[in-house]
Amino acid sequence: MSHAPLHPDKRRVSGLILDYLIALPLGCAVALAWANTLPDSYYRLAQATSFFVNEVGMVFFFALITKEVAEATLPGGALHPWRRAALPVAAAVGCVMVSIAFYLAFLQNVGEHMLMSGWVAACAVDIPGTYIIARLIFGRHPAVPFLLLLAISADAMGLVAVAVLHPVDDPRLALGLGLMAVAVGAAAVLRRRGVKNFWLYLIGPGMVSWWALFLGGVHPALALVPIVPFFPHGKRDPGLMVDAAPQAHDTMTMFERWWRLPVEGVLLLFGLVNAGVPFHGLEEGMWAIPVAALGRPIGILAAAGIALAAGLHLPLRVGWRELVVIGCTATIGLVFALFFATAVMPPGPLLLEMKMGALVTVAGCVPAFVAARLLRVGRFAR
Amino acid sequence: MLWRVAAQELTLPSAPNSVKFAAMGDTGSGDTEQFDVANQMARFRAKFPFDMVIMLGDNIYGGQSASDLAKKFAQPYKALLDAGVRFYASLGNHDDPVNRQYPPWNMGGQFYYTYATKNVRFFALDSNKVDQKELAWLENALKSATEDWKICYFHHPLYSDGGTHGSAVDVRVLFEPLFVTYGVNVVFAGHDHIYERITPQKGIYHFVEGASGQLRKGDARRSPMNAKSFDTDMSFMLVEIAGDQLSFQTISRTGTTVDSGTIQRQARPAR
Repeated sequence: MSHAPLHPDKRRVSGLILDYLIALPLGCAVALAWANTLPDSYYRLAQATSFFVNEVGMVFFFALITKEVAEATLPGGALHPWRRAALPVAAAVGCVMVSIAFYLAFLQNVGEHMLMSGWVAACAVDIPGTYIIARLIFGRHPAVPFLLLLAISADAMGLVAVAVLHPVDDPRLALGLGLMAVAVGAAAVLRRRGVKNFWLYLIGPGMVSWWALFLGGVHPALALVPIVPFFPHGKRDPGLMVDAAPQAHDTMTMFERWWRLPVEGVLLLFGLVNAGVPFHGLEEGMWAIPVAALGRPIGILAAAGIALAAGLHLPLRVGWRELVVIGCTATIGLVFALFFATAVMPPGPLLLEMKMGALVTVAGCVPAFVAARLLRVGRFAR
Repeated sequence: MLWRVAAQELTLPSAPNSVKFAAMGDTGSGDTEQFDVANQMARFRAKFPFDMVIMLGDNIYGGQSASDLAKKFAQPYKALLDAGVRFYASLGNHDDPVNRQYPPWNMGGQFYYTYATKNVRFFALDSNKVDQKELAWLENALKSATEDWKICYFHHPLYSDGGTHGSAVDVRVLFEPLFVTYGVNVVFAGHDHIYERITPQKGIYHFVEGASGQLRKGDARRSPMNAKSFDTDMSFMLVEIAGDQLSFQTISRTGTTVDSGTIQRQARPAR
């Protein structure tokens, strides 16, 4: 189903972003207060509910993120054609590599060797969080999709690492692969037959995909990532992280509209279940993820430099000053760092250190604004 | 329970057929003070011939190379190793996981394991990261243990008045229900660089001994669960189990007895 895109200035920021600004901080605030006043009851509840929230509820958060990425490959989207993504992907490689190097070097330096196995969390760039800060700094500017593509690429690398290097115990790979083939095949058949009701995609291929990942040893929160791209969609991308036009009734849009409110609840619960860390008593290892994030501007600039030397091109109006601000904004790990941490580290003091580090990366918005102001970038250009 | 405090002498019965062991935590600094504690352990062994040592984690700080293992473990405890004393380690957050393969620590390459001597079964656990696999293993191991005494040890204390870290509540909600259900008698932990004896919690005796190579002076806080604490010098523990009695003596780096007492095993049915 096609529809004429609204004028950019009249499009609303995606409901996902608005939910993110309200539900997640609320969940985090309650969790922090609870964990530091009645820790016994908090940890009992968090550990009893973490599976339901992190491995079932988060399926729909990642589905909405996947929808944004899938739409970005449509005409008018940031990923159309694919070669436009080459430089952000290259920058993401630098971002991830330097982050991991900083993470491991810091832990070696402070002697927290046990935490080194959690290096995947150093890859995490928070997609909604960086989008919010980028929009506040740049407004509507090519730097915003550049940053989002970078974040999506870095997280994709992290998710692959989670899937490959941190399998669930006793994976049944052959069964998982077989079921995944069935799930993807069923989604393709539904799409071919023109099925528009997203529930049929969720109940059929979606559930099979969840079991495929669960049995195959891969984090099942990613169950809808291979299914959502089969949803029927509009002919053009309505824009990254903005709501589709009111008259749009394609499956992806309907899916987003229906799931917006439940995902708001999921984000609240995600904050509640995962953000409860003690303010007191943690080791120096809690600084590993923030220190890793400090390496990102360096990695992004270095990789972009290499990519430019290899013949790739920056988007129009994106130069080195904008890249510095993009690098600073990409230091925010928050939800994705929390998610990666819980995916790679079992409960215990090490996980608490990683979670605290993930929360601390919110402070990355400060250097982003400072850099933007000093370099006269975005809203500070005038 | 009977408590008594004496100085520079052995307070333990040292009965001929008892189980005798030492407990030490947060050791591997390689500093002079660690050597002092190790020498004191060797000195007391002449009076109290313990044949095993349980290690409560953070066994090596900083570098973890073969030379570090020599400098921060093999050399300080050379006298004990030469005498055939066996060390059974648990790992702390500062330990390199690879060191579970280090033969003198008798971990068999595992993060958690169990062994028994006479009427005592020990469970060395991993408190750094507690997954469902470890909990299932622990439940099965506790359920099938037939010995009179069940002793668990690991790095992060379930109860502690240490000002720097304190109780690891997130670990407590995972381990404690199993300890209570299956009749664990005593728990040893480290992490806070002090010595502390906790009043029994849900019928279980808890000791914090995280000052055998590191010390945070003045870090012990007072709370209703604090039965005895020592935070002015480094220390280690000697423990003896004979029949239904567990006797312990905590000794400072200088050889002064800072705490001692006897615990009577409670008849707690293992479900």
